[in-house]
Amino acid sequence: MTSLATLSEQLAAGESRSIVTEPVTLVIFGGGGDLAHRKLLPALYNLHLDGLLPPRVAIVGVGRSAITDEAYRAFAKDGISRFSRRPVDERGWQTFAASIFFATATIDEDNHGFASLGARLDVIEHERGLTGNRVYYLAIPPTLIAPTVNQLDRARFLPRAVTRVDHPLPFARLIVEKPIGRDLESARAINDAVARVFDERQIYRIDHYLGKETVQNILVLRFANSIFEPLLNQKYVDHVQITVAEEEGVGTRAGYYEEAGALRDMVQNHILQLLSLMALEPPRSLDADVVRDEKLEVLLSLRPIDGDAVDANVVRGQYGAGFQVGKPVRGYREEEKVKPDSRTETFVAMQAFIDNWRWAGVPFFLRTGKRLPKRASEISIHLKAVPPILFNRPPDGHLDPNVLSIRIQPDEGFALGISSKIPGPRVRIYPVQMDFHYGSTFGASSPEAYERLLLDVMAGDATLFMRRDAVEAAWRWVMPILNRWEASTDPIPTYPAGTWGPAEADRLIQSTGREWRPL
Amino acid sequence: MAAAVVERAWRPSTPDAVERDLAALWRDLSQHGAIARAVMSNLVVFRLRERRSSARRGPTRLEGRDGPERQDGAGDSLDDLIDRVVARHPSRTIVIEHDRGDYDPGQPMGADVGVSVFGRPSAKYAIEWIVVRSACADASLPSIVRRFVRGDVPTSVWWTEDVSCVPLRLALVETGRQLLYDSRRWRNLPAGIRAVAPLLTSARVDVADLNWPRLAHLRLALVHASASVPSGIAAGDTQITYRPGEEPLAWLLAGWLAARLGWSPKKWPTMNEGRDDDDVLSLQMGGDAGVLTVTLDDHRVRLEQPGAPPLVAAVPRPADAEAIAAQLRARSTETALRDALTWLSKRIASPG
Repeated sequence: MTSLATLSEQLAAGESRSIVTEPVTLVIFGGGGDLAHRKLLPALYNLHLDGLLPPRVAIVGVGRSAITDEAYRAFAKDGISRFSRRPVDERGWQTFAASIFFATATIDEDNHGFASLGARLDVIEHERGLTGNRVYYLAIPPTLIAPTVNQLDRARFLPRAVTRVDHPLPFARLIVEKPIGRDLESARAINDAVARVFDERQIYRIDHYLGKETVQNILVLRFANSIFEPLLNQKYVDHVQITVAEEEGVGTRAGYYEEAGALRDMVQNHILQLLSLMALEPPRSLDADVVRDEKLEVLLSLRPIDGDAVDANVVRGQYGAGFQVGKPVRGYREEEKVKPDSRTETFVAMQAFIDNWRWAGVPFFLRTGKRLPKRASEISIHLKAVPPILFNRPPDGHLDPNVLSIRIQPDEGFALGISSKIPGPRVRIYPVQMDFHYGSTFGASSPEAYERLLLDVMAGDATLFMRRDAVEAAWRWVMPILNRWEASTDPIPTYPAGTWGPAEADRLIQSTGREWRPL
Repeated sequence: MAAAVVERAWRPSTPDAVERDLAALWRDLSQHGAIARAVMSNLVVFRLRERRSSARRGPTRLEGRDGPERQDGAGDSLDDLIDRVVARHPSRTIVIEHDRGDYDPGQPMGADVGVSVFGRPSAKYAIEWIVVRSACADASLPSIVRRFVRGDVPTSVWWTEDVSCVPLRLALVETGRQLLYDSRRWRNLPAGIRAVAPLLTSARVDVADLNWPRLAHLRLALVHASASVPSGIAAGDTQITYRPGEEPLAWLLAGWLAARLGWSPKKWPTMNEGRDDDDVLSLQMGGDAGVLTVTLDDHRVRLEQPGAPPLVAAVPRPADAEAIAAQLRARSTETALRDALTWLSKRIASPG
């Protein structure tokens, strides 16, 4: 039995890993930006209300502007009042506000910008009794990641320790937001730059999809219930569909999106992460690297799509003018800051295969797009149809195959579609749903993804974060598709805004005798 | 007997906030105990929202939890009927109150969301309502439906207006797998037939006329009794007499007979409006001698033929809500109805 050295360790024994007791300073680079305003500060506020933040904590926004702590607190309160899942509670807010600070710093080639930041952090930590444990959150454009990390190093912000168990030094952890690069080469460059300063175990690459309650529930659904897992293989599954549909257009992100497109923005990260969780083999434990090893195996088992196979298995599209919930909306090429002859895809549909024992021959249909009819993300597992005898005998009988669907957003939950007899003297069959909704079952709103992820970083749990090898494996898989498109001059199919994508996407799946599942 | 509404929660919303507000309603309701969310289908209800010059009022909107604030006489009964339908066939109910005015892209739309709770305290279940007041181009209506339907269950579109006067918005109808309408409401029969004709060749949309099941027992009696009747009865030897207001049912009967007996669209049985008495329909086949006489009233069907005792069968009278729910549960094409309507559409397109 391991001996516990301190009273704190003795008292904390047996507590959940998600209970963070170590003091921590969260330093948010890009603290005055949209992500901090809409997501990070509201998430931290909710953690505070739930009593999940460490008792001693400081949240320091860092940016180029010279604004006071008070002004930054007002900025935080505005974001919380507009975007938090819970309204501002004045008592809760007062105690939370006392932990919020702002520091001005610039990222430049010399060390002066961070020198003053270091001094400011030291003062805050001293005054609040903090021990120097720091989480650096890079909510900044990818081009600034390497310079920021280098400057952290040059300004001696890093104690070079991984955990306090290994070293009696304060810890330093780094959170990196996606996108990590825009291709394999640039992703490697960013990863190399970060790796020169931080050990892989200190790096938390965030994909906020992985923080969603239902995504975490995928593993629970699969491995905490004996009914499903025996069915999830090529023997019983006909195909799997993963859809991440966005209702919004490109909005104010046109500058970024023009350079990215749907494949980079959604497929390379969110969708492949969902796919790997859905398809992974049972990990031997829930340790971060054990789970991430299994996810990597899935990515490495993806059948490459290159050359002519790209045209046969991948469809891209771009939204044109249309209607969204009754309102007319512009087409992509009419959006501000979008080139009138843009070839950026706003929609991707594809057929993928995982060439391993479990999933051999089972198509995975992946679909994502902007300006689709609704915001909805779902994984649906379509089981094979029953034989065409008894109740499924043509021409009268046509039974919907069983579908297990996992709704990721909105209305998180899952459902199992089954055929049932309609009460009465005749045998008539109707598809019914066994349906589970988080909202109406547990009677509370689920935590936002960033709440869970921030908590995990503070607790040092990297399970829900992307490891370097997985990020690069995902890029390696999508690169032949990007390269094929880059070389192509074929017109890009369009679809009216408010519809489920171009007709080519329907033909892609219909050519296999299947249909996209309506959402 | 289906359960009655035991509790309602409603709140005003906006089209963009519908799902969020529904989630909040569910959370509120779940504070009072477990409630199963029941959904076997999406029920898209289309009705016109007449322009009001001032003080635009909400649609039969229900405030609080005590039930609806009745504001619209026509709407009240429809809301009640919908409640009774979804108590029998739980559906996510999406009511589109469409403004027949000119398209005004700047005009905002409104929405309300609600949850109706049914069942015993120990086994409560509930369904969702979404009411959207649209004042937008017809072409944009499908975008409303696509946004709010649940894709994992079938979708039916219930056209509560008179199809013969308020043209079907086909793009909207084709967002579902089934169109429900009631030909009893048709004021212009040829226009009604023409309106549904484009759907008769559709492999995607089944037509379901709420008037059609009323013929079921008459048709069954005819099939049963006609085994000994020689084939070849002509349209000219057939006479249908109908009660005032039942002409659509008489047309459906004629269409079905014509389709089954292979009559030319140019041939048409004798159709007469009878007295306003108990008989809904009376059919005589076989000329003056009368081979078969079938009479349908509100309670029974009576078939008479020479040399055989009369055949009398009870006709069940399901409540409107039950009749609609039965159609929603139907999962396959009603071939006989489709054939009848197809013949009727040929008939009205055929001069003479």
